[in-house]
Amino acid sequence: MKIKRFLAYTLLGVGSFVSLFPLFWTISTSIKNRVDTYTLPPKFFNFTPTGKNYTSLFSLDAFWGIYLNSIVITIGSTALCLVVGSLAAYAFARKPRFRGRSALDGMMIAVRALPGIVLLLPIYKLSSYFGLYDSKLALILIYAGFNIPFAIWLLMSFFEQIPIEVEESARVDGASSYRMFTQIILPLAAPGLVATGIFVSLLSWNEFLIPVIMAGENAKTLPVLVASFISNRTLDWGPMAAAATVALVPIVALTVVIQRWLVAGLSSGAVKE
Amino acid sequence: MALTAPETWSTFRITLIITFFGLILQIPLGIVLALALHENLRGTKVFRSILITPMLLTPVAVGLTYRFMFDTDLGVINWALSLFGVDKVNWLGSQTSALFAVIIVDSWQSVPFVMLLVLAALTAISPSLYEAARVDGASPAQIFRRLTLPLITPTLLVVTMIKIMDFLKLFDTLFILTRGGPGNSTTTLGLWAYKTGFTFLELSRAAALGVLIALVTMPVYLLWRKASRGVR
Repeated sequence: MKIKRFLAYTLLGVGSFVSLFPLFWTISTSIKNRVDTYTLPPKFFNFTPTGKNYTSLFSLDAFWGIYLNSIVITIGSTALCLVVGSLAAYAFARKPRFRGRSALDGMMIAVRALPGIVLLLPIYKLSSYFGLYDSKLALILIYAGFNIPFAIWLLMSFFEQIPIEVEESARVDGASSYRMFTQIILPLAAPGLVATGIFVSLLSWNEFLIPVIMAGENAKTLPVLVASFISNRTLDWGPMAAAATVALVPIVALTVVIQRWLVAGLSSGAVKE
Repeated sequence: MALTAPETWSTFRITLIITFFGLILQIPLGIVLALALHENLRGTKVFRSILITPMLLTPVAVGLTYRFMFDTDLGVINWALSLFGVDKVNWLGSQTSALFAVIIVDSWQSVPFVMLLVLAALTAISPSLYEAARVDGASPAQIFRRLTLPLITPTLLVVTMIKIMDFLKLFDTLFILTRGGPGNSTTTLGLWAYKTGFTFLELSRAAALGVLIALVTMPVYLLWRKASRGVR
């Protein structure tokens, strides 16, 4: 048994180190001077931190606009996902069988299964046709379209936990469906809405393929900016790491908040029908 | 046209290679980590949170990070290898090592997913089964092979199918790490469709590739749905 424990701890320890090191390395590179960055052996702790990389990143003309785009698009698409998702998930949770249910399930899953590029080619054509290329609104709609199935799955499991008796007694007291949903069901499912909201915002925040295809200068998001740091031949690690850190830090902060629902959220949709 | 182009088949082959070796690496690692977490040792929750972190991070930013970690001359990975007397590897510069690098980075982000699903399957196994096996004098290795493995097999099937679909989707890290290069040596079918559509601006051709990808995904998708009925 002692050997087993030792083995398990070793594995978990090595795993944790491997998981965290790149994160540590990005952050530490982002606060290093050039001299400390391009040197061997690498400097892990013995360097003087500097904010230079961040000031040069923040002084990019486009930076704040892009940062704001990312926030607006993330919030907009998350809100849309929650509205549509909660209505759909509630219906799915309360009516396990109805005409067309399995077709709807199939379509939802197809969005998860198919590579984005397959779905984005026609979307790209369509939105150029409607003049929606490079618009934030289009990005909000497309992000939401991709993430709504995920929101539905996740929310469904939360709605299913609300006992049906709650609804029955509300009905007896004469509450309309609308009132019941907004004043009883949604407040009860609040933790689920928060968890789902955070998950969907993570997905939107990280999304790269959609904006790289659908956004020009006007609707550019943070991942596209981060990616643009490698398009030139000379790689400047400091600002690159600063840009990566700016993208990563909000995520780490958010995941601390949703620690409790993390596991449910991350495996949602994988096995449940 | 799309079907007869040599790139279609070479990129398809690369997709298969990445998928195959990725699975070989990620599934066992995920199982092993899940088993370690399932021991429920002190600090398990903290370890779990840490181990999950990679799958939440922005793939593009992760790609950048690895991009400088993989640097030939000044990268921290080659430096660490040099401590063990390994010569400098030009990670992103040659075909085999670039494929390897892509698989490593994808694994870094994907192993947590495998781990989580396997962990869920392990948790669902009744402890009394282990009890009975132990009473019958089964060794840990026997318990794993005869008891644990068969019971988590449905989950492993589901994970495998999802992972295959994810490999077909692979884009962000690939785009950042290698852009499909050197040459086209790490270009997967999906990335090729992207390049066809948005670098060479042949949208209809890209759409044909898109249909091809959808067709490849189809059987995997059906198997996934079938397999997922076995897991509850």
